[in-house]
Order: sequence, then C-alpha cells, then structure tokens
Amino acid sequence: MIVSAELRIEDVIAGYVPGHPILRGVNIIAKPGRVTVVLGPNGAGKSTMLRTVAGYLTAESGRISLGETEITRLPGFRHIEHGIAFLPQGRSTFPDLTVGENVELGGWSLRGDKSRLRQAMDKIFGRYPTLVPLRDRPAGSLSGGQQRTVEIARLLMADPSVLLIDEPSVGLAPNIARQIYRELEAFRDEGRTVLLVDQDVRAAIRIADYVYVLNSGNNDIEGDRSAFEGDLGTMVRRWLGV
Amino acid sequence: MLTRVLQLLADGVLLGLVYAVVGLGLSLLLGIMGIINVAHSAFIMLGAFFTLGMLEYFHVDPILSFALAIPVFFAVGAIVFRVIVVRMERAEQNQGLVAMFGLMVLIENVGTIFWTTNTRVVTVGYTNIRLHIADLTVPAVRVIAGALAVALITAFWVFLNRTLTGRAIRAMAQNQDAAIAMGINVTRLSLMMFGLGIASAGAAGVVIAMVFPFAPQTQIEWLSWAFLIVILGGFGRVENTLAAGLLTGLIQTMATALMPFDYVYLLLYVALATVLVLRREGLRGAVRRTI
Repeated sequence: MIVSAELRIEDVIAGYVPGHPILRGVNIIAKPGRVTVVLGPNGAGKSTMLRTVAGYLTAESGRISLGETEITRLPGFRHIEHGIAFLPQGRSTFPDLTVGENVELGGWSLRGDKSRLRQAMDKIFGRYPTLVPLRDRPAGSLSGGQQRTVEIARLLMADPSVLLIDEPSVGLAPNIARQIYRELEAFRDEGRTVLLVDQDVRAAIRIADYVYVLNSGNNDIEGDRSAFEGDLGTMVRRWLGV
Repeated sequence: MLTRVLQLLADGVLLGLVYAVVGLGLSLLLGIMGIINVAHSAFIMLGAFFTLGMLEYFHVDPILSFALAIPVFFAVGAIVFRVIVVRMERAEQNQGLVAMFGLMVLIENVGTIFWTTNTRVVTVGYTNIRLHIADLTVPAVRVIAGALAVALITAFWVFLNRTLTGRAIRAMAQNQDAAIAMGINVTRLSLMMFGLGIASAGAAGVVIAMVFPFAPQTQIEWLSWAFLIVILGGFGRVENTLAAGLLTGLIQTMATALMPFDYVYLLLYVALATVLVLRREGLRGAVRRTI
C-alpha cells in the first residue's frame, strides 16, 4: 500500500497573464485512496488548475500543499521528488525514443541508484506485459492506445503517491479508454491520490469518489459521486447554457 | 586507376570528416534546441585562434589543444547561454536569430582587432609529414585531424544515445512538458546542451586550424559549409551529420579531380538544391520551438 498525503488547493488564483487570472480562488482537496474528479465546461480552468498544482504555472496567491509540505512555488521538475506525477493533456511520449527508453526516463529521479532504476523497470514491464514486445520500438510508431500505456507506465516508474491526470481518454477508442479508467481505479485501490480532470463526464463520474465542478475559474458545486449520478443531463445542459 | 580512385576516396573521407565536425554543433543546437546558432562559425574561428595562441605562447600541441578546447568552449557556451539565450526564451524565433547574428559580427570584429585580417597557419612537427599506406599517400596532419573529428563525433553519438542524460536531452527536445514531469531540470540540461554545442564548435576550430589557413573573416565561409552539411544531413542526429560531411567531402574531392575548381561549389549547391526540393522541409522543420 502506498502511504500518501492529502493534496490541498486553497484559494488559488492563477493565470497565464498577470492581472488576468483564470483561476479566481479555487479550493480542492484530494484525499489518499480516492479518485477526485474535477469537471466543468470548456474554459472553466480545469487544466489550468492541474498545471498550477503540477508547478508549470505559479499561483499568484493561495496555497497548495501536500500533507504538511507547502508546494505552492515548487518548480515543475521538483514535484516528482515529492511523489507527485503529472500526465499532461494529449500525447506526451518521446516519439523518437524507444518504449524502453521512454519508460526508463520515467525513473529519471532514481538515476542516482542504478539497481533501483532497474528494479523499477522490471516491475513496470511486469505490470504492463503488453509493452514487453514493443520495448525496442520507437514510441512514435505505436498506436494511440499503446502510447497511452507507455505514458502511464512511465508515470508509475517513480512510484508516485499523487497522480495528476489531464483528460486521459481524449482520442482513444472506447475499449481502450475503459482500460485507462480501470487503471486509474487500480491506482486508487493501491492507496494513491488521484486528481482527474476530464471532459468525459460520464466516464469520470463512474470512477469518482468525490466530484468538484469548476465554472469560470470558481468552485461551483461539489459532492460525492452519488450526488452526481442521478441527473447529469441537467448539469451539462446548464454548462452549455441551454 | 584503382590506386587513383582509392587515393581520391581517402582524400574525400579525410576532408569529409572535417566538414562533419564543422557541421556537428550547428546541427545539434538546431535539432535539439531549435536554435539557429549563426554564431557557430565565429566560435570555430575562436577555436582556431585558440590553437594558434596555445602553440605560440605555451608551445601546446594542437592535439592537446583539442582536448583543452572542449572544457574551455563549454564554459564560454554556458556564459553565452546565461547572458543571451535565456533572454530569448520567450522572444520570437527571429529575435534569437538576430541576437546570434549580432554575436557573430561582434566576435568577428573583435577577432579582427586582435589578430588583424592576416591569414595564419598552424605549423607543427607533423604538418608536412606524408604517410605512405600501400600505394596511397596521405598527409599525417589530415589523418590526425580526421581521427580527432571521429573521436568527437563518436563521443557525441554515445552521449546522446547511450547515456540517460543524453536521452533526457533528446526527450526534452521532443516533449518539454513531459520531460519536466519526469523531474528533468530543463534549464540545466539546455545549458549543458548549448555548452556542448559551443564546445564542439571550439573543437572543430582546432581541427580546422590543423588543416586549413584561417583568418577572422574566413569564419563566414565555414558557416556556409556548416549549413550545407546541416541541410544535407538534417539536424539533431549525429550519424546523419557524419554522413552528410563524408558525402560533401567525397563529392568535392571527386569533382576537383574531374572538373575545373570553379565548378566544384556549383556541384555541391546543386546537390543542396536537390535535397531541399526532395525533402521540402528545409530549415522549417526545426523551427518548431525556442528553448
């Protein structure tokens, strides 16, 4: 079991241009062993929130913390040291590197300890056996679903306790998307904290333990999965303004 | 006849290795970092004068200067990165190009003030020795220069393909966001790669100084060679740069033997035009991002 801490996002204001915040005071708590889902219409600030937590964007004010550690101003490349892994939106393999090299780079933070790096590689290829025969192929030559598996395998190399996932199923065939969501549930069952941003409302709610809805950079509604399962249609219609 | 062909091949390969090492840094900085370093040849020129200075003032052999040039020019590259390149980070691509062009003009002019426009040669004990291998005759200095070029090109290939740090540098070029998420310090590795690009230019300067006469203003001619190699071979891959260098060396040597010298460059640039037409990507494919 992974020992994870609570990820807290408190009153965060952030944006790409100073003085024009996209997040206008967002509050989210993601608990260990839970899938916390963040939904909202386009432009609500979901991805911006995730990129701020991952350190790609610095909050203008507010506080982000993991357990007792404040990470508000921690640069992106240092998050993995704190056990926080981030899967960016869209395809993010290194296409000219082989599958093996992609996965190995997931263990960049372990590079000082070669035997631990090797062990992590063996464990990951044991977990994703479909990647074994593809190990020496350039990642860019694989199908979309296979590349997603490479990304997820790479993500797990450093054995993170917190996973920040941005729209994992975009562009994937439905059966592959289902596998990806099953994998996210497995992460939760291992005790990891999963913070998921998604456009696929139905699929995300199905695996959610707790749901936040953002609207125009503010918290809108939130609640347990049960509160959302009933009448999704009304909520989505409200986003679309119809 | 066979001897003559083999002799031409040997000459072509030795010349081609020099071309490859001249194109190496330009190709890597363009392919890996998206920087069109037009000051590349100015650093080659500094490398050539470094060789001359080390020989004249400290009696250091060019072979040793080659080894010394790598850390010295790495440091120079690191300074240029900190002072100029990081400031271009958010600027438009062409601003970076203009900045590097400015640096090139500055280096050439400062070079002219220090060393005048007189043409220099580096002469050491082995400069005029000719090696006889079977029926072939090759200048020893070209063989040494070629060997140094091979060593440098091999070292870069091994670093970028066989070490985790080298692969991290390539990864950073392919998807910066994902590289950051892996914990890769992109600023530090960019500095390292830029330093290595300039180090390879300095080392190429030592190779050039061993085999060709040079003056501050000849650097512009080397820049055109470097671009020729980069466009022929594509950018960012060490092995392609080597192949393009060898091809250029062989074409030039063969052409020199068969036709008046005036036509040699015509032939090379026809080859260049053909590649551009066939590949159509030209330099555009590389200008996808600044660091």
